[in-house]
Amino acid sequence: MEPMGTLRPNLLSPRDLPWRIVWDRDRCTLCGRCTAACPTRSIELGVHRKRSLEVKAGLAVKPSNVYAVYHGIDQVAHASRVCVGCGLCSQVCPNAAIFPVRSEEIDKVRFHVSEGGEPRRRGGRRNDPNSLLDRIKFIRISMLTDPALDAGRHEFELRTLLGRIPPPEDMLEEASRPDGWVPPVREVYPLMVGGMSFGALSPTMWEGLQMGVAYLNEELGMPVRICTGEGGCPPRLLRSRFLKYVILQIASGYFGWDEILHALPDMKEDPCAIEIKYGQGAKPGDGGLLMWYKVNSLIGAIRGVPVGVSLPSPPTHQTKYSIEESVAKMIQSMYMAWGFRVPVYPKISGTTTALAVLNNIARNPYAAALAIDGEDGGTGAAYNVSMNHMGHPIASNVRDAYLNLVRIGKQNEIPIVAAGGVGKNGNLAANAAALIMLGASAVQVGKYIMQACGGCVGSETDRCNICNIGLCPKGITSQDPRIYRRLDPEDVAQRLVDVFVSFDVELKKIMAPLGRSTSLPIGMSDALGIDDEGAAKRLGIQYVV
Amino acid sequence: MWSDRDAFPVTPGGDCTVFIQGRDANGRVDSRILEERIQEAVRQGCTKIEVQAYGQHGIGGRLWFTGGSHVKVDVFGHPGQRVGAMGSPFTTVEVHAPASDDVGWLNAGATIIVHGDATNGVANAMAQGRIYIAGDIGARGMTMTKHNPRFDPPELWVLGGTGDSFAEFMAGGIAVVCGIDSRSKEGYILGHRPCVGMVGGKIFFRGHQKEISDADAVFVRITDEEWDWLRSGLSRFLKAIGKEYLEEELTHDRSAWELVVARRPSEKRTRDRIPMGRFRKEVWDRELGPGGLIGDISKVDSSRIGVIETGELRRFVPHWENESAMSPCQAACPTGIPVQKRWSLVRMGEIEKAVDLALAYTPFPATVCGYLCPNLCMEACTRRAKGMTPVDTSVLGRASIEAKDPSPSPPSGRKVAIIGGGPAGLSVAWQLWMKGHDPVVFDRDARLGGKIRDVIPFSRIPKEVFDRELRRVEEKITRVRLEDPFSEQLFEDIVNRHDFTVIAVGANDPRTLSVKGARRTIAALDFLRAAKRNKMKVKGNVVVIGAGNVGCDVATEAYRLGASSVTLVDIQKPASFGKEREAAEALGAKFVWPVRTERITDDGVVLSDGSTIPADMVVVSIGDTPNLEFLPDTIDTESGMIRVDERYRTSRDRVYAIGDCVRQGLITDAIGAGRIVASDIDARLKGEDATFDRMPSVDVARIRLEYYEPQALTEHDDLASCAQTCASCGLCRDCGMCEAVCPTQAISRRELQGGLFEYAADPGKCIGCGFCAGACPCGIWEMRENDPLV
Repeated sequence: MEPMGTLRPNLLSPRDLPWRIVWDRDRCTLCGRCTAACPTRSIELGVHRKRSLEVKAGLAVKPSNVYAVYHGIDQVAHASRVCVGCGLCSQVCPNAAIFPVRSEEIDKVRFHVSEGGEPRRRGGRRNDPNSLLDRIKFIRISMLTDPALDAGRHEFELRTLLGRIPPPEDMLEEASRPDGWVPPVREVYPLMVGGMSFGALSPTMWEGLQMGVAYLNEELGMPVRICTGEGGCPPRLLRSRFLKYVILQIASGYFGWDEILHALPDMKEDPCAIEIKYGQGAKPGDGGLLMWYKVNSLIGAIRGVPVGVSLPSPPTHQTKYSIEESVAKMIQSMYMAWGFRVPVYPKISGTTTALAVLNNIARNPYAAALAIDGEDGGTGAAYNVSMNHMGHPIASNVRDAYLNLVRIGKQNEIPIVAAGGVGKNGNLAANAAALIMLGASAVQVGKYIMQACGGCVGSETDRCNICNIGLCPKGITSQDPRIYRRLDPEDVAQRLVDVFVSFDVELKKIMAPLGRSTSLPIGMSDALGIDDEGAAKRLGIQYVV
Repeated sequence: MWSDRDAFPVTPGGDCTVFIQGRDANGRVDSRILEERIQEAVRQGCTKIEVQAYGQHGIGGRLWFTGGSHVKVDVFGHPGQRVGAMGSPFTTVEVHAPASDDVGWLNAGATIIVHGDATNGVANAMAQGRIYIAGDIGARGMTMTKHNPRFDPPELWVLGGTGDSFAEFMAGGIAVVCGIDSRSKEGYILGHRPCVGMVGGKIFFRGHQKEISDADAVFVRITDEEWDWLRSGLSRFLKAIGKEYLEEELTHDRSAWELVVARRPSEKRTRDRIPMGRFRKEVWDRELGPGGLIGDISKVDSSRIGVIETGELRRFVPHWENESAMSPCQAACPTGIPVQKRWSLVRMGEIEKAVDLALAYTPFPATVCGYLCPNLCMEACTRRAKGMTPVDTSVLGRASIEAKDPSPSPPSGRKVAIIGGGPAGLSVAWQLWMKGHDPVVFDRDARLGGKIRDVIPFSRIPKEVFDRELRRVEEKITRVRLEDPFSEQLFEDIVNRHDFTVIAVGANDPRTLSVKGARRTIAALDFLRAAKRNKMKVKGNVVVIGAGNVGCDVATEAYRLGASSVTLVDIQKPASFGKEREAAEALGAKFVWPVRTERITDDGVVLSDGSTIPADMVVVSIGDTPNLEFLPDTIDTESGMIRVDERYRTSRDRVYAIGDCVRQGLITDAIGAGRIVASDIDARLKGEDATFDRMPSVDVARIRLEYYEPQALTEHDDLASCAQTCASCGLCRDCGMCEAVCPTQAISRRELQGGLFEYAADPGKCIGCGFCAGACPCGIWEMRENDPLV
């Protein structure tokens, strides 16, 4: 039996937690909704004894104590049940009696998450709200010097090419040979939904995104593409015409690929492309970490695995021992699967070695593109240290890659797809335009989509971020029907449509004043400026103050 | 103001008509100069001006200084851009030729007639006035037009068709497009993408138009009033352009006309896109199959649910876990008495049952719980952990003197030998008797009871209490008095003649000091034994070497028998505690430590520092060891004690050992060991394997002591108040708190047979909030995750 008030290093007071629950006794009706809803069981009903002294004036009567008992909502201070600030309690409270507030100083939980020797793992993104992309401005405002374009009235070619585009003379020569081959190229919308696996995302979220993409294509004529992420693809989607809007991802875990191969004879359409994932910006050098409790019969069926087993993906593809082999072998295999009709491109995490990969890709005539995912990307599960401290910013990676292509005269041959932190502070179109003008042909976005389409409340200051444990308060990253059924696929789809239509307007609002052209301004870096001299020099854009 | 004003080539005509030549000897007249000349003519009162134009800008516009007279400007030749721009209501401009861009730009009232085509931007930003075009117009006609409520709306009349982007951002006014001899592409009488951003005004047109901006404009029916307006307007228009002969063609078929108006802001929000719900049903599910994306591999309903749900959709389910965890008091009691259960019975008014219950666990509830035990249950009491006075178990213990005998199981005829009739041996005997077996106790002393009877002073255990409890045991068991010294042979005989044998011989050989003068001392055991029979004479100063609880008993007895002072010395911090220590201290006993005894003289105890504590009597109280001379080699010992496993089995089959001959401990330890041995023997006799899986201890954090008044506990001296303050850890006290606190009234109480009850949560109402678990005073309700759905 421990004495009262015992201290142990990991015993914290509520003030030491990242979030404090503010509860208003007067407003609370004790309806139980907050404690029923709290994903992390960070609040519970507490019993309190209130003592008051009863003293009669004049002191003629001996003073006495009066005790009263009341019930209230208490915050649990234990590190394993710490409040993550999601705010679901206040969302379900009928009386605005409860809400989380961030603690004013750095929390102390972070010093105790190593209990048992297991480092902290979480979902989300790098905990850094700063964004270089946000600081890039579009400084070339063409009022009179070029044809003034009108975002509302001019028609813009918001299309990009995904696929290898050989020089015309090579293409003509190939086309004229009886056994010649011209690489497949897709004309697609420059903003794509990046790879988020079925498993990382809930069934409702995944279906909603796919439905929204189908709507954009079929009802609005916007050729938006979505990447499956590594977790396979539902058999029905593989056998539907919607497959042409889908980029199938293959990664080091190869989950679900036998099911994809089984579906080959039944496919009505080729997929848009195949993305070979070598790395992920949010957690470079680390693979997927889908834990057993998220692997139910549905995930098992799609991934082609037994139920209730953890599905870590290895950090690298296991049978490749050199860059040449990695790239060439994988690209060849994937091309062959669809008779060389589908573009195949690798995706790497942002890295100082990106140029070496690009160099290799430039010499491989099959490589359709290079996708680079920067450090600000998101993930459903990773080690905190990988997320917070590893990775390479996307801007200089894209810029270096593009300028390198310019140097060898291949900037129109190999599209660069950029990702990682696009729209991290809500500036989706501005960030995407900046990357395009730094040299990206297309931009992939994931987190922003989760926030905009699913209502994710995660942030770069460590709010929520519990995607990895299947308790997502909004049902975005859970495999538990009790949670994911909170999310209606139709709502997700509608929000995705809204996002792309509004993005379309914003991108035009950026492009129109630049003048010159109604085509996507890939590499139009003379229109970019930044108020940081070092960044300007590094990116080869203008330093403006 | 102009020095060369006289040089103006103004040719006066009739009725103040001037003819202004757009070209003179110096060539083309600059737009600025031509404008000056027209304005000057107006200022001079000319009301009819003819202009021979050579591409000059803005002819006929801005004639605001007419003094109220109407001015007619006839333009011949080739006017430049913006004919009639910023026109005034006092002006009519008639162009006898095609016109260039922006005819009537920012027109604020002029009537402008063009006998031919006009290029781009006709009527751009027009706010008032009328523009008549006797041909086609170019792109972006009628764009940005306004209707100022102070004036009539502006009008644009076009005989042919329009170019692209017609009526873009049109905010008011009326356009009429007649579709006569238009060169517009078939199906595009209004060109491509008309009405984008249109927010006001209306467009009448005749002819085929495949597209308008559906987001901004909408086709409506032409009312009779509008038709009348259109007919009279057409008549005026045709007259102005001199094509009255077309009136019949344009008006004979009202159905040939269409009317487009701007959508109101409220209408724009509901643009005609297929709703997502319909898309899902008609496109998505139709292509994929019923149930959508995963309808083939998942049968789980995926329709929307709320955050707060009941039944199988709750995330957590409350379980009423009554008596599934052990209270701290019971867990701490070596005898294993369920103290909380006894208090519960008292609360229910079943005092007799509460009292009787003890005999199922111990033959000496009054003696031990009531007097001799340090009450580990109270040490462990949840209340103590939270700074409150524990419930006083000894009250309940003392009340147990009245306990009624339990009924034993039917006789089994199996004999178990128990060597030693102290608390350990009698505990085994008592338990075996209850289980229907025949325990045989072998003891050397005249009466059973061991040290409780012989050694422990009456000041700590009243004679009548123990006698009564001892009698209760003695009545039930066979007893064999051992006359001879106990030998190995005798032991072997006993073992062979019984199914099982339990060694409970205790520790009766006092440890001695190996210092000079040790012969002058008396062992505590001998002292207490003699003192209890009042056979010990004591006077003067008594020194007790060894200040444990036995030493304290010696001190208490020494005072009783006449000692003037008692000093207890120890080489370390005295191990004594509790009632024994308190009693000795209350009588004035001094504790001296740490000291080492050097030797003992007639004067007293000489310490290693040379000082002497005067003593008339020195009692050595440094423990006792068991006498194990009878033990055969087949039974292992360790440091002078018998070695046993966790069930007190020795290394010899069918032979157990418990009590002080195994390890020195409390009486309750010995009694508890007896229970375990009896259970093990009983199981073996029945051919079973006894299990000793103890229930988990209750999580003290779940016990809510906030319900109790801390002050009321200082003087709880009767059974009722003790029972009321017991927190009943892990045992439902049937208070109804859960029923009351449940926000959805899901919890209810149900009577079961035999006076039992249970509480249960209705899945149809329960939202899994955990309030029951949070509020339960006893920690009964436990929230568990609901069973997985997939």
